[in-house]
Amino acid sequence: MKNKIGVYICQCGSNISDYVDVEKVKEIVSSEDIVFLSKTTMFACADSTQKEIAADIAEQNLDGLVVASCSPKLHLDTFRNVAIRADLNPYNYVQVNIREQCSWAHSDKPKDATEKAIKLVLAGIHRVKHSVALEKLKISSENTVVVVGAGIAGMRSAIELADMGSQVYLIEREHFVGGRTSQWNELFTTGESGRDVVSSLYKQIKSHSDITLFTGAEVVSKGGSVGNFNIEVKITPRYIKPQCELDMDKFEKVLEICPIEVEDEFNFGLTKRKAIYKNYPSEFPEIPAIDDKNCNRCGKCLELCPDIDFGQKVETLNLKAGAILITTGFDPYEPKEGEFGYKTVDSVITLQQMKRLIELNDKELIYNGKKINKVGFIYCVGSRQPDGDNKYCSRYCCTSAIYTGTVVREKYKNIQNFHFNRGIRTYGKQELLYHDASENGDVFLQFYNDSTPAITSNGTGPKVTIEDFLTKGKEIEVNLDLLVLVTGMVPRKERNIADILKIPIGRDKFYNEIHPKLRPVETVIDGVHIAGACQSPKNITESVKSALSAAAKANSLISKGEIELEPTLAVIDKSLCKSAGECIKICPYDAITTVEYDGKTVSEVNKSSCKGCGMCIPVCPENAIQLIGYTDIEIESMIEALI
Amino acid sequence: MSDQTNNYDVLVVGGGIAGEETALNLANIGYKVIMVEKDLSLGGKMIHLSKVFPTLDCSACITTPKVSETARHPNIHIFTNSEVGEIEKISENNFNAVLTEKPRYVTEECTGCQLCEDACPVSVDDQFQYELVGRKAIYIPFSIANPRIAAIDIENCILCGLCEKVCPGDYIDFRQVEKKTPINVKSVVMATGYELFDPTIITRYGFGKFKNVVTAMQMERQLVPTRPYNSVLRPKDGKMPDNIAYVLCTGSRDDTVGNPICSQVCCMYSTKQAQLLMGALPMADVTIYYIHIRAFGKGFCEFYNQTQGMGVEFIKGKIGKIDEVDDGDLILRYEDIESGKVKEAKHDLVVLATGILANKDYQSMFKNIELEADPFNYVKQTNDLSSPARTSIGGVFVAGTASGPMDIPDSILSAGAASAETASYLRRANNEK
Amino acid sequence: MEDITTKKEAKILVFSTEKISDPAIDLAGLLKMHYPPKVYTINIPCSSAVKPRWVLHAFEKGFDGVFIAADGTDCSYSEDCSEKTSELVGLIHKKMEEKGIELARLKMAAVCSVCAEPFVKHMISFNTYLSNIKSN
Repeated sequence: MKNKIGVYICQCGSNISDYVDVEKVKEIVSSEDIVFLSKTTMFACADSTQKEIAADIAEQNLDGLVVASCSPKLHLDTFRNVAIRADLNPYNYVQVNIREQCSWAHSDKPKDATEKAIKLVLAGIHRVKHSVALEKLKISSENTVVVVGAGIAGMRSAIELADMGSQVYLIEREHFVGGRTSQWNELFTTGESGRDVVSSLYKQIKSHSDITLFTGAEVVSKGGSVGNFNIEVKITPRYIKPQCELDMDKFEKVLEICPIEVEDEFNFGLTKRKAIYKNYPSEFPEIPAIDDKNCNRCGKCLELCPDIDFGQKVETLNLKAGAILITTGFDPYEPKEGEFGYKTVDSVITLQQMKRLIELNDKELIYNGKKINKVGFIYCVGSRQPDGDNKYCSRYCCTSAIYTGTVVREKYKNIQNFHFNRGIRTYGKQELLYHDASENGDVFLQFYNDSTPAITSNGTGPKVTIEDFLTKGKEIEVNLDLLVLVTGMVPRKERNIADILKIPIGRDKFYNEIHPKLRPVETVIDGVHIAGACQSPKNITESVKSALSAAAKANSLISKGEIELEPTLAVIDKSLCKSAGECIKICPYDAITTVEYDGKTVSEVNKSSCKGCGMCIPVCPENAIQLIGYTDIEIESMIEALI
Repeated sequence: MSDQTNNYDVLVVGGGIAGEETALNLANIGYKVIMVEKDLSLGGKMIHLSKVFPTLDCSACITTPKVSETARHPNIHIFTNSEVGEIEKISENNFNAVLTEKPRYVTEECTGCQLCEDACPVSVDDQFQYELVGRKAIYIPFSIANPRIAAIDIENCILCGLCEKVCPGDYIDFRQVEKKTPINVKSVVMATGYELFDPTIITRYGFGKFKNVVTAMQMERQLVPTRPYNSVLRPKDGKMPDNIAYVLCTGSRDDTVGNPICSQVCCMYSTKQAQLLMGALPMADVTIYYIHIRAFGKGFCEFYNQTQGMGVEFIKGKIGKIDEVDDGDLILRYEDIESGKVKEAKHDLVVLATGILANKDYQSMFKNIELEADPFNYVKQTNDLSSPARTSIGGVFVAGTASGPMDIPDSILSAGAASAETASYLRRANNEK
Repeated sequence: MEDITTKKEAKILVFSTEKISDPAIDLAGLLKMHYPPKVYTINIPCSSAVKPRWVLHAFEKGFDGVFIAADGTDCSYSEDCSEKTSELVGLIHKKMEEKGIELARLKMAAVCSVCAEPFVKHMISFNTYLSNIKSN
């Protein structure tokens, strides 16, 4: 038991001290006889304070440390390291959360907040009184990363990870790589086509001996944990032999003969495709695929092509990895029927369909057999919804819509663009694109948040009626040939991976990082990283930046071959154990086995498999199990201090 | 210093948040990093901010631990108050450069006791408080500075020697001279940050002439916990303002000042300051004059909606001219875009949301090769889409606002990208040997 | 005024979990959502790790209520954490019954990592319930 505890109470600038009387907290806790010194500080985390704490520990021989400040999720390690530098075991340190769970939560009742802070700090002091010195557990780690999703973020991070020395398994659910990027033709800012960018990345991946790509592949289960994940992957066959050398003429004939026609998702339903398909001729991997869901096995293609093989079976692979990176991207928002005339008024399409339409129309812009001259764009469809669920801004769409308008104007003759917007957000250098579009004759009309445009049909095309902000709500009618709904990003509909890995989901329903500034690509699940648009809307550059960041983090986590883990483990007191076996039954990791001890059979915890969840501790009828760091005496003395 | 210690894997130019993030990532992988910071202490601009959007975390709580982690990392060697120049590419993985350490006239043993500050008779404007208050000719840059060592501003020092007399440890050393050291590195990361737009250029806003027209950075300093006045006051008469105006796009999206692009952060930092002002001055009205509100990042739009809900007024209007009336109040003439009419409004404090400009320092750092600039003088990204940290020189990468305006979360991701690309460059070159 | 309301307020002990429900409680603070100040949190790795004796100890020492902010289906340790925590609550209820403690003084609900609002609602209603039985 300790009797020389140092207590530091942080003002957090004014975040804490505005509501909690930190001097009073100090005064009261200092009267505890086990508290040797107590101080208040403006910023406990500032380097000078860290030095002061370390010096106090060393000079005064403190045997325990309590810092009352923000949530331990932010600075637990900061102060553990202070303890280490001062030769105090880091597990004799307790961080008390008097910001998120006290000053901020009770900013309406400063007196009560102060009372609560006192109790919380006392509980921390009593916890540290009984804490024991511990060493981190060291486990070996695979220098391998499973990257899920081979869009731009996944492909790019796979290359970087391999370049940095990690083995990579790149898992793609579709039969082809490139994700959304391959669906976009010209890209802002460089004018490259999405498929060119994808082709170049694919070639780098294929030539990299440390990257293994699986297409038609889906993660079906996860075992193990950071350093040693076991990932089970199900692979759906292409039903075409791998040695197939694609002959385009022959492929054309096969396409002709295939009787199945389905909606082409790659073109967002603008066209149909066959059950055997490639989304575009230069798509990678080179070999076409047969869409298992729609093929009726008529066998007509077999007559033309000996490489087709319906004997291929679904395979399951087990992969070992030290870390996981999720780059599963986004879905475009799908407007409801009737939302801005979608599916109820002719010639109303989404931005994503528009991009495919440009790709499919070489010389003239034709939709439904009609030549298009007047194009309208309605912004923030599915984003910034005043009444709907999506309160967020989808970030990329203003620039994307203006750029699409620019491409249309430059590619085809006599195009007039109208942009019905809610305040253009071409942030940063993108501003020039907006500026140039205005200069080149695009018309921008801003509507009110509470008065959205009405879409009707004028017989020949869609008609937009809006109250224009810039002319003080004057009603304006614009007749168009084609109306494009600038649909934003939403999280992927199919997200089994989130359930399998338990990835936390944020308020906007995208995957959530630990902290946007401190740990922007890590999740609370150790070893699971996120990047790209699965985390929040991002453009390509931003997705790639986050993908590379995640690659750097994952690599530095596992590349040393060894990972340090928290020493939170269950420990069984063999003299108390009567081998009831309840702990063995409940343990989700099979970490408890039986051994012979003192002439009887007792349970024992296997240190390398125990994850420290503590599920075994309440079920033991003899109370023979303690969870290190959460022992009865620690928890019960905290309870006593809190009352 | 021996030859061996002058060889590093990576030179990181700039010790702001992007430089620190890059250096830490690379040092954690095991590379040896030299970080060169021109200011007296680390933390760049971020360490001076109050709370940061959209989480309203205090900025110091995010930066200072990163600063101390950087300062303490065994693989990172830091030079503050120093510059780097004559960077020369010899071959891949082989750059020479010259490190110039400027004298601080105080030795590294300084304990930061500040007795010298009390003794010094010279007072000058404090650049870290954005000229809101004064400081001495010998000074510690700011309370949470790292390193927390005094320095003498020799231009203003009158060499009276009082500091030498009071220093308890004999740490004042007027004999220090500038020191140049050649270094060799395998790669370079430019994390040189940005400059703030100087609003005196827009004379019609009266900045510098009307005391109650301040910049957002000056307001930021009034809102931080280490603030000079411990309250928000208007400079002219020390009165607490109760009707504050924000002028967005000051020096941004403005061809007439040569900066046609959007600065990406001003809408959000103004919105954030408005929220903080509502807390600091519950009775005050805050009006934000804007062209478009760019609340685009994760959680930003929600934050903007929340600010509107708190009662901050947003007026879509461009400010033409600001005039002062007798009591120091200000008349803003603006084009109200909604009505199309020119209107006037009276406020007792005006905050100019000044934009971000390129820091062009990097342009004179290279010797036999040019680091190309984009049209706005930022470091040019040569493969914007798939390799955002790559520049016109192989082995030289860019992190943070050196390549364009961005907010803190984006700077940190950009630094992550720069560290990944640098690490693979180093390893590729190693493997080819 | 404040003193009267404070006296009536119940003392609630919350067992939160480090990765799931504690972040939600932090988020409530970050968003300045207010809940009764006599709510005290102890965090543990998983909600299926609450020992019955801890809960009984809390009641014995004077807590009016105990709330287990469970991991629910988000638990990263076990698929069936919800069921396990419920079984645990059953076990604790049995022991409460033996001691004559009203069962409703122990409450459990799943609180996901961004469930700040539900958490605050739980605290407000639990506090109302407990202070009512307290004053009766």
